[in-house]
Amino acid sequence: MSWSSPLPAMALVGAVLVAGSYVVAVLDAAMAGAVAGRRTRLGDAALRPARHAALLLVTRRSGTERPDARAWALAPALLAAMAAVGVATVPLSRDVAVADVADGIVLFGAAMAVVMVGVFLHGWSANSPMPLLGGYRFIALALSYEMPLALVLIAAALPAESLSVGAIVDSQHDLWNVVRQPLGLPLYLVAGTGLAFWGPLDTCDAADLAGGTAVEVSGPARLVWELSRRFVLVAVAVMGAAVFLGGWQGPLLPGAVWMALKALALAALITWLGHRVARVRLERFVVVAWTVLIPLALVDVFVSGAIAL
Amino acid sequence: MGLTRWLGRLASGADIPVFAVTGAGGRLIGEEVALLPGVRVVDSPREANILLVVGRVTAPLLGPLLRVHDQLPAPRATVWWPLEPDGDGLRSAIPGLVAGRPGDGDGLRRVFAELLSGARGSEPPVLPDEEPAEWRGVGPYGQGGTGMTGGVPYGRPLPARAPDPDGLELDQLPLRVGPFFPPLPPGLVLDIGLQGDVVRQATVGDNPFLSGPGDPSAGPEDLDTAAFFHAVASPRNVAELETARARHHLRWVARSLRLHGLDARGLHVLALSRSLTPARRPAVMALAGELGRSRSLAAALRGIAPVTGHDACGGPTARAAGVAVDARLEDPAYRGLGFSPVVHAGGDALARLLQRLAEAVQALDLAERAGDLVRRPGPPLEGPRGPLVAGAPGPSAALLGLLPRLLVGQEWGDAMTTVASLDIDMEEAAAGRPAAAPA
Amino acid sequence: MTRSLPVDVAFWLFGAGSVLSAWLVFRTDSMVRAAYWLLASFAGVGVVMVLLHARFLGLVLVLMMAGEMTIMAVFMVMFMMNPAGLNPMTMVHQHRTAKVAGVVAFAGLALVGVVGDFPDRPADPSRDPTAALGRELLGDSMLIFEGAGVTLLATMIGALAIAGKRGRYGDAEHGSAPPPLGMAAPTGGGGVGGADAAAGPAGGDEHPGMAGMEHP
Repeated sequence: MSWSSPLPAMALVGAVLVAGSYVVAVLDAAMAGAVAGRRTRLGDAALRPARHAALLLVTRRSGTERPDARAWALAPALLAAMAAVGVATVPLSRDVAVADVADGIVLFGAAMAVVMVGVFLHGWSANSPMPLLGGYRFIALALSYEMPLALVLIAAALPAESLSVGAIVDSQHDLWNVVRQPLGLPLYLVAGTGLAFWGPLDTCDAADLAGGTAVEVSGPARLVWELSRRFVLVAVAVMGAAVFLGGWQGPLLPGAVWMALKALALAALITWLGHRVARVRLERFVVVAWTVLIPLALVDVFVSGAIAL
Repeated sequence: MGLTRWLGRLASGADIPVFAVTGAGGRLIGEEVALLPGVRVVDSPREANILLVVGRVTAPLLGPLLRVHDQLPAPRATVWWPLEPDGDGLRSAIPGLVAGRPGDGDGLRRVFAELLSGARGSEPPVLPDEEPAEWRGVGPYGQGGTGMTGGVPYGRPLPARAPDPDGLELDQLPLRVGPFFPPLPPGLVLDIGLQGDVVRQATVGDNPFLSGPGDPSAGPEDLDTAAFFHAVASPRNVAELETARARHHLRWVARSLRLHGLDARGLHVLALSRSLTPARRPAVMALAGELGRSRSLAAALRGIAPVTGHDACGGPTARAAGVAVDARLEDPAYRGLGFSPVVHAGGDALARLLQRLAEAVQALDLAERAGDLVRRPGPPLEGPRGPLVAGAPGPSAALLGLLPRLLVGQEWGDAMTTVASLDIDMEEAAAGRPAAAPA
Repeated sequence: MTRSLPVDVAFWLFGAGSVLSAWLVFRTDSMVRAAYWLLASFAGVGVVMVLLHARFLGLVLVLMMAGEMTIMAVFMVMFMMNPAGLNPMTMVHQHRTAKVAGVVAFAGLALVGVVGDFPDRPADPSRDPTAALGRELLGDSMLIFEGAGVTLLATMIGALAIAGKRGRYGDAEHGSAPPPLGMAAPTGGGGVGGADAAAGPAGGDEHPGMAGMEHP
């Protein structure tokens, strides 16, 4: 599969994102129910995301006074597109890689940097105070997690001596990066949780902003936003599975199944953390990110560089 | 169209997104809506399809309520749970209103299904769609402004410059939040001067629950601390009072958890508080231990809004600051039980959380040991927010007075945490005049 | 560089898009939109670089510019008097000088482009540009790039040290007072009444908009 056959490639990436988001939504609801002490039937839990999506589709989209309509509509689409780009760089099985380019890690990083633009625009375009605060909070959050994210991905690229995600997966044939670089996965999870603004790092759609950037959004626009958020989470999980958990490699089962299991495990972990960990104070997180996480990520790079040399 | 109808059928099984608006007397029931199965209480009216009004809507609340109503997207319906036979102020304002029995989840589901199947039409907007101020044609380019800066472009004044502690002149946005802003207690209106996300000025708006000329005065039965107000004048079972106290503190904990992003945990605590008896003390102790050990919650609350014991005028807020003042020390009924107040140091939001958790555990312990002990009226009563004295306003009024000073200089998230940690009830602040004890 | 129709189409599309969005930077009144039109322009240039086989550089350009344009938007909102574009403003000044400078610059560059003798050295497509870039950065050009990197780091640290609230002589807010601006007395600031309470001399500039403020 290469860029010369774009339609199957887009369909595959879309299918991965949609299926992943659906499963993540079901898992999220199941975990929430378990923590809240409620019992839900399996059938109900499996259909809940579809019902919620149907409800949002029949609800009308509302507007505010003088929003930036184009940017407001663009923002969720930008998030979804960047998540698709992120997933495209990852080899989903031994033979299937939509865009396993030689600079896959950099492409992923660029796509995730544009996510910041998308979330800020979503907050700013609505011309309303709470979304605006959410948008600005996300900028502070994004600038703080971006360095650790880039550094741990680079550290994972060092043993592979290549920036291509496929090469990084191949370099883990004897030992997964989660073992070889113990600092890598925890830092990646923190940065990835911030990138997907989930749970403890959900400062931009927070309850103290009464919903943050999504306060003024309703109907199909809200559906696209919620989907896009989960797309980004799936992209983070897929990349994490490829770079730290060995990707499609594994005995017995086909590569795609292993990839799916590993990505789901990471997504489930992030979702579970969202139900257990309280939301951070942004100022405190910024300080921790710059004074603790970046030095740790640098240590990670130096150590893996020394080992790789 | 077939597709829309099929989607509507699929959607009618979804969790009902409800925006709950609490009027006078509705706080208890309004909070417990979240426990109804198949109902999701949302933070923003735009996310909801059903506007649930619980309690009596006083005249100052009607205007904001209508504005919130118009913010719900179509298809929308309004369900009203009046807690007493009421005049038709709300009914005449929203013609399509559905009145229901408080706590009736099936009724909500029925209205929701009718809404989605088309049997019930979506409610039309009740307010006229007009500009806040006339701006067309004003100014050199017709947008209401005067030149490159200034004026009232598109009907809204530009934010004024205000000094920033760093010595800069930055824009300050005048913002009014409330009375139905979910992070704040119902009825609280704050006029905030926001510079970036930092609160530079804060004023508490008029209390909408103060009896106006046409409103019937709210009796103490409406309050969420009704049991305590009654106990000022009449004898009460100590076990009942202490269980009510623990219940109150757990509801506060549930609200706090929701504010800090732990929705599901908050629902669990709310369910615990609803079915609370002294026998469930181990569960509450486990909860207190777990939340006390939670590093993330501690990081979110530590150092925010320290209140000295002197400012706090009693209650858990003062005890969290290290001042061991508790009206129960003067009470012979409690002396017999060997009561001694729990105290924490620091006085910040974290100390208040730990304080209330510890007091909930202590209250259940007292309730278990009290048996049939009855408390006679006379000595001052310690309510869950502070001492209740016949003829004086409730402790919420004093706590409200602390707000403006505490909020200034706080970042938005910390400001919301501050308000939540003080446990304010606007109705109690307005109607806090319990009947005098018989001589 | 492989010549083929999709590549050509992409080049013209993104090249024209870059020029168009760069022009829109100056046509729009809102600062945030201006910053993001500039980002769009940079993204177009990044795509062109990818088409020219300098993929790493193109992607890094997009990565850096996304963050940088957002920061620029934040700074512009912080400092500009009309960042939301609610009142239309002229983004260009000194029209005659600008026109002359623009025409002269265009003529000069066009002359160079048309008359200049550009070398024709097609790059070897089998070579990995990223590896070549890496060798250059850590080989012959190491001094320049490491020196630039350390200088930037020192600048950042210095800026943080200056902006920080705690200095060598104590907290920045202790005993500090805004500089006396010596301008007209504070405006009839009915609308900004509460805002002046915070510090002594109120905003010195005579701000025409203030008269229109109403306290909500």
